[in-house]
Amino acid sequence: MKLICEHLTKAYSGREVLRDVSLTLEQGKIYGLIGRNGAGKTTLLSALTAQIPITAGAVTLDGAPVWENRGALKELCFSRELNISSESGLSSMKVRDYLHYAAIYCPRWDEVLAQRLIGEFQLPVKKRLGKLSKGMLSMVTIVAALASKAPFTFLDEPVAGLDVIAREQFYKLLLEEYQATGRTFVVSTHILSEAANVLEEVIILRGGELLTMTDTESLLNSARYVTGRAEDVDAATAGLEVHHGEVMGRSKEVTVFLREGQAIREGYDLTVQPMSLQQVFVALCGEEENR
Amino acid sequence: MQQLSDSKSIYLQIGEMIETDILRGVLLEEEQAPSTNELARRFTINPATAGKGLNLLIEQGILYKRRGIGMFVSPGAREKILNKRRAAFFEGRLRELLAEAGRLGITKDEMIKMIEESDL
Repeated sequence: MKLICEHLTKAYSGREVLRDVSLTLEQGKIYGLIGRNGAGKTTLLSALTAQIPITAGAVTLDGAPVWENRGALKELCFSRELNISSESGLSSMKVRDYLHYAAIYCPRWDEVLAQRLIGEFQLPVKKRLGKLSKGMLSMVTIVAALASKAPFTFLDEPVAGLDVIAREQFYKLLLEEYQATGRTFVVSTHILSEAANVLEEVIILRGGELLTMTDTESLLNSARYVTGRAEDVDAATAGLEVHHGEVMGRSKEVTVFLREGQAIREGYDLTVQPMSLQQVFVALCGEEENR
Repeated sequence: MQQLSDSKSIYLQIGEMIETDILRGVLLEEEQAPSTNELARRFTINPATAGKGLNLLIEQGILYKRRGIGMFVSPGAREKILNKRRAAFFEGRLRELLAEAGRLGITKDEMIKMIEESDL
């Protein structure tokens, strides 16, 4: 199964939130969706799962449009971030009831797994959603997503508000479920340091556009942080893809993305360091403000 | 096993950890190596990454596959790792050391003297 989105554009009253996004999600991978606040992550997840109508383009599952397509929607689960203040109807709903409705919407729902996860997270099922902390609300969305057993499962900010131990627990559960089933997961997150090693591919949105979609390993492999005297840095990196240059006195630091066969020119006294996903993201998406 | 860092590709670190375990005698020749799934769980990493690390060791003849059972430490793996690391020592660390010495203005004679005076 493949979920394909082509030239997807979404506008809210004339304002484009997503512009000409094309990507293919394959089965059996964990994708990370990253981007700054307002980059269009939630809108993209909503559009891919036919939660909102799209303005232009197409979203298809194995060739069939997903919009108002019951067969296709059975294969997709979007576990959205629970935002209680804006969705007032939810605040008086009990955790148990929320998960009950989730089970009704998900034809492959695994109640045994749901119960196990509720136990692991020690979720108070009788409490109303409005009484839960942000972290506990995230746990509810995680239970709904994992227990849905949908072949394509989308999690919007699943670790928001979770403490570091619960975040680790989430990624372990995600990997466990992934290894057992080979389901596809798309996870949006801002906490990149912990997610980087779990994500096989990353989808980076910037200002409503797809900046890049690439496997995490090669993205990190191609990135270098180069520091030294400004003229040495410039000479050694001339002709390469250079981002986020910062000059301090005589020194300069840049992020370089090497394409296949490229290298930083030798013979200069430079410090060349590998980069983490978080640093790469800042180099790619932090530039908007500096321009 | 050790912990992962950001300083290097994760699959390379996984490979190096298994190598270090073999050098230390934590893993013996002809013993079963950790599986992709075990490594993915232990380090909370994508199984594809763990698999890449293991495959690297298979390509180098440090591990071998037994169909349907898993991966095992090859006979002679220890020797192979030692040879590989010795080569890497001269190619990598020693070069870095010489470059830093050059920057600091330490002469070759001074370095030789230090090496001769050390307990090595």
